[in-house]
Amino acid sequence: MTATMLPGLSDTQASASQWAVETHGLIKSFGDNVAVNGVELLVPRGCAFGYLGPNGAGKTTLIRVLLGLTHADGGTMFMLGHPVPRHRDEALARVGAIVDEPRFHGHLSGRQNLQILAAAREPASRQRIGPSLERVGILPRADDKVSTYSMGMRQRLGVAACLIGNPDLLILDEPMNGLDPAGMQDMREMIRSFVAEGRTVMLSSHLLDEVERTCDAVAIVDRGRVVRQGPISELLAGTTLVLHVECSDPDRARALIAVTAIGGADGTEITPDPTGLAITLAAGTGREVIAEINRLLVEAGISVYRLSAHQASLESWFLQVTSRLGESP
Amino acid sequence: MTARPDTAASAPPPGPLGLPVGAAPDHRGSWIPSGAMIATRFMELRKRRGLMIALLAVTVGIPAVFLAIRLLLHGFAPKTYGPAGGYSVYSALVGGVLYVFGFIVAATLGVTAGSADLTEGMFRHLVVTGRSRLALYLARIPAGLAIIVPLVAAGFAIVCAVCVFAAPTQLAVNGVNVPAHLSRAGLESWAADHADEVICHFNFSIGPSSPIADVLNSVPCANGPGGGPAILQPPPGFQGPPQPSQAQTRKAATEIADMNYSDYARQFLYPSDSLMIRSGLWLELEAVIGFVVGLGLGSLIGQRTVPVIVMIVLEVVLTPILSRARIPHFSNLQRAVVGLATAHLTPGGLPVLGGGGGGPGGGGGNPGLLPESTTVAICVIAAWLVGWSVLGAWRMTTRDA
Repeated sequence: MTATMLPGLSDTQASASQWAVETHGLIKSFGDNVAVNGVELLVPRGCAFGYLGPNGAGKTTLIRVLLGLTHADGGTMFMLGHPVPRHRDEALARVGAIVDEPRFHGHLSGRQNLQILAAAREPASRQRIGPSLERVGILPRADDKVSTYSMGMRQRLGVAACLIGNPDLLILDEPMNGLDPAGMQDMREMIRSFVAEGRTVMLSSHLLDEVERTCDAVAIVDRGRVVRQGPISELLAGTTLVLHVECSDPDRARALIAVTAIGGADGTEITPDPTGLAITLAAGTGREVIAEINRLLVEAGISVYRLSAHQASLESWFLQVTSRLGESP
Repeated sequence: MTARPDTAASAPPPGPLGLPVGAAPDHRGSWIPSGAMIATRFMELRKRRGLMIALLAVTVGIPAVFLAIRLLLHGFAPKTYGPAGGYSVYSALVGGVLYVFGFIVAATLGVTAGSADLTEGMFRHLVVTGRSRLALYLARIPAGLAIIVPLVAAGFAIVCAVCVFAAPTQLAVNGVNVPAHLSRAGLESWAADHADEVICHFNFSIGPSSPIADVLNSVPCANGPGGGPAILQPPPGFQGPPQPSQAQTRKAATEIADMNYSDYARQFLYPSDSLMIRSGLWLELEAVIGFVVGLGLGSLIGQRTVPVIVMIVLEVVLTPILSRARIPHFSNLQRAVVGLATAHLTPGGLPVLGGGGGGPGGGGGNPGLLPESTTVAICVIAAWLVGWSVLGAWRMTTRDA
């Protein structure tokens, strides 16, 4: 593949690039199977970025291509403004990554494994081994053999391996795998703390709830292509709002709302609900509509016991855009 | 945004590119491995307890135990069991045990060094550091050699020490103990003083008209002079040939000693310094070849079991066969076998591959081996070292991590 600079972007301007990761038309095939199919991806600097997709969508393959673990068949890519693979060594000097399950030499301790990795990095990275182990919370077990570590501890050791390079960009492939709820909470907080320090975290995951809670922006990949990307708030703003109404006379309330401008608006749907009514409002509907419905019902003498609005979750939105309803993400 | 802790207060602060200000360049793209990479790779191999025990057991343990048993047996029953050391023990251990097993354990270490990162999932962590894959490969060579070379040297040193310090004090020539390092005149003088033993046990070849024939036939030996047929004891009253004088017997023994001197001179109580130095270098060469070839093969295949089996088969089965068999039209291909090349470099005085003495000129003088010049042997060894290194490095730089 050819790694060319973007027009007008020189090496010295690499640090000024606003994108931590940038790919254009990236292609990677395994025989007839196109795992990465012309991916256009822009990961902004200084945020937690989720890379989501169903199993087999090409998430890990894209990460492996970015990191030089396998070669691309076409397209261009940049990491931290450096074109790769041409300047991969410069780019990777500022990148830490976990790909797939973090595995290490089991006969060595966690600290010794990090010593091997630090030896391959810049000399200063050796001084970061202790602090990195402390930060991920495995310093007390740092001198135990890795073969005695749990999966969660290996994940933490993987993060420590990333940190010894003092990276500007962390690429974490399924970092929540094997973690218990407390471990997931710790990992989430750790990722947020990395972002707070100005680092970029790109994490691939199929745990949509975790991504929604951790990330600022996401890209959805399906069948090797990025189908949506952007800040989560903006992406979800384009989804419908469902209002659940619990009241004394649901039938009358339904008839009353149906004849108003709200009920007649495009995209609005009123359906019976076990506790009352479910009113689906079109994307972009303002919150004042909820107050208007409440006022309408009260003025008509209908007692309103409860009003609750639900924005579509990342998970339901994910299933919509990937057209894989009924499939496990 | 909170301040980035850099996870180490002592590390230089990041510069505009995020690179530490004032930090020395780490030459990450260079193919030359750093000292730290070699040191940590050495640590990774050294910490493999099972492998290290196996290496120690084979390179040091086998000769040490063998020699210790011989020392004990000789200490408890010196008349039944001969000395633990000596030239014959040395040549058997160096040419047989250390040569073959040294290669196999070196190859096992090389295969492990070449495949462990892949099989244990560490390779991708290393690639992600941005370090040149070639440098990652090359770092394994000095690290592995730093383990196997001292181990082979330790085993060899034990063999040398025991064979020198526990060597027999006398040579056994045809079952007769003879002092070592005698000149021709010295041997003749000694033979004159031990005429009966020399005449009865030393080999000789004389014609029936030889002036000493009558003397030899007159000496009463259990199995006849020179190991020949036994002389029947004469019946009582039998008048045999006249008994030779002592001067005649001494003269005959002196002549027999003179005939045996060249055989005597070729025997040693213990190996010479020169032979030990050459043998040590030869063993280390064999270990280096085993390690480098194993490293390349392990990296090429990406796993451990199959390459180790291949290396054992090569050393124990294929090399002895291909070194001695005369296969029409394939002799040049046979000469490309590295084991044949190292056999041709066997120091003089050691047995060569598959048995047979190396003779003063080394393995090349052994008629059993397929002929090969020293130059060709050196070229074959160099080609194996370079070729397998290139193959292993190529696979490492091109494989998916």
